[in-house]
Parts: sequence; C-alpha cells; structure tokens
Amino acid sequence: MDLLDTFGISASGLTAQRVRLQTVASNMANARTTRTEDGGPYERRMPGFMAEQIDPFGNQLDRELSKVTITGIEKSGDDPIIVYDPGHPDADEEGYVEYPNINILNEMVDLMSTSRSYEANTKAVDVTKQMAGQALEIGR
Amino acid sequence: MKTFLFDTLHNGLGRVLDLRRSQHTLTVANLANADTPGYKAKVIPFDTVLSEAVGGSEGVALRQTSALHLDAAGMDPSRADVEEIEAPPWSVNGNSVVAERESMRLNENSVMYRAVAKGVSSRMALLRYAAADGKSG
Repeated sequence: MDLLDTFGISASGLTAQRVRLQTVASNMANARTTRTEDGGPYERRMPGFMAEQIDPFGNQLDRELSKVTITGIEKSGDDPIIVYDPGHPDADEEGYVEYPNINILNEMVDLMSTSRSYEANTKAVDVTKQMAGQALEIGR
Repeated sequence: MKTFLFDTLHNGLGRVLDLRRSQHTLTVANLANADTPGYKAKVIPFDTVLSEAVGGSEGVALRQTSALHLDAAGMDPSRADVEEIEAPPWSVNGNSVVAERESMRLNENSVMYRAVAKGVSSRMALLRYAAADGKSG
C-alpha cells in the first residue's frame, strides 16, 4: 500500500460523510412534509455504512485496510406523528394529519457529528500529504 | 562483515519508516470508518514490533547460511501483527473508533515518521561526508 493510495481511504470517508450530511439536510428540510410521491408523509432517511476491504488479496497489512462504502439510503420506518389539525390540506376525514417522525434535535446532533467526522478525514489528508513530502526529503 | 551502510540500525530505520507508514494508513482507515457499524479500530502495537525490528540481534533471528537466502531478520514490511480494539460495552453500534484517540495517533505517528526520516537523512549526510573525503558540501 503506497502512501499516496491512502488518499483513497480518506476520500471514501469524505464521500460517506458528505452523503450523510445531504441526508441530514434532507431530513431537516422535510421535517414538516406531509405529502410525498409515494403518498403519506416524508420518512426520515439515513445512509448505511459498510467497511470494505481495499485489497483482499494483498499482504497481511493491506488486508487489514478498509475504506467505507455506502450500502444505500434507508428509510427509518418510524411511525408518523399524528396531529389533530382539521384545517390542513392533508388532513383525513376526522381532521388528523400525519407528520414525519423527525426530531430536529437528533438531526442537529447528527449534523455536528458528521461535520466533525468530515473534519477528521480532511485532517488525515493533510497529514498524509505532509508525510509524503517528508519521505521525499529523505537524504536532502 | 558489517558495513555502516547496511547494518541492523540502517535496516531497522527503514523498517520503522515502513511500519509508521502502515500505521498511518491504518489510522486513516479507522478515521474513514468512524461511523461504520461494527468496525473495529486497528493499530500496530509498536512497543513489541519495534524491538523486533531494531533489536534483531538480541532476539532469536533466522540466520542466513547461504548468499541466496532472502533476508529473514524481520525485514518483511508486510509482516506485522495488527491489533483490533474491542468496542466498549456502551458503544451503540459496535464501533470501537474513538475519534480523539485516532487523531492523536495520527499526529504522534506523523511526528515519529518525521523523526525517523530525519535520522535516515543524518546517517546519509554522515556517509556523504565520509565519501567526500571530509569535505563538507
């Protein structure tokens, strides 16, 4: 495993966190969405992450290395929150509206954690760059 | 015969550079997988691996009895034990990556890499000095 190949691992982490950020943004934007193409309210979504071996046939150390891949964006399957609001255009005959089961606080915490993880990966890219530079300096 | 250029220290330094690079890649992989459910953080236990790499003369080493034998004194960079850190019981998704610890390891490892690279450079400078018959530059 070359030092420069390490960038690929960091890139996979950055991509994963970016997709997570987009999902969180979508959840926050749709926190009050009562109508979707599939009918019913918006459902909270989250990306599934999986560790994937980079080089399953490499040497012992290379086999230990895994990048992160996104398995898909899954719906949470939580039951909607039912609110009595007869004036709402999406209210049923009895006046109840189904709202997405999204807690803005949860999303905010997720957002912060995403941002920190993204930062950690960019930091890793910086250190890799530094080390590659130092390797070139050997013997000078 | 022992020469200055290729003695155990020289080979040891090279091996340590290799190990530090591997450790760096492992830390990067740990950071990338900081949110992957079930992922276990991986580290190279340096205290045991280093003594094996540099103190090759003290431990039990394989001896080369023929010039055709490959160098067996722990110089294979692919050979290192990697330890997996178990997830603590309070971990929600079975992930054992602690971002702070990894970040610290990333920095520490980078400093050590620089130190060893510097060490190799000074040995080379010494060699160059000798080769230039004591004239510097």
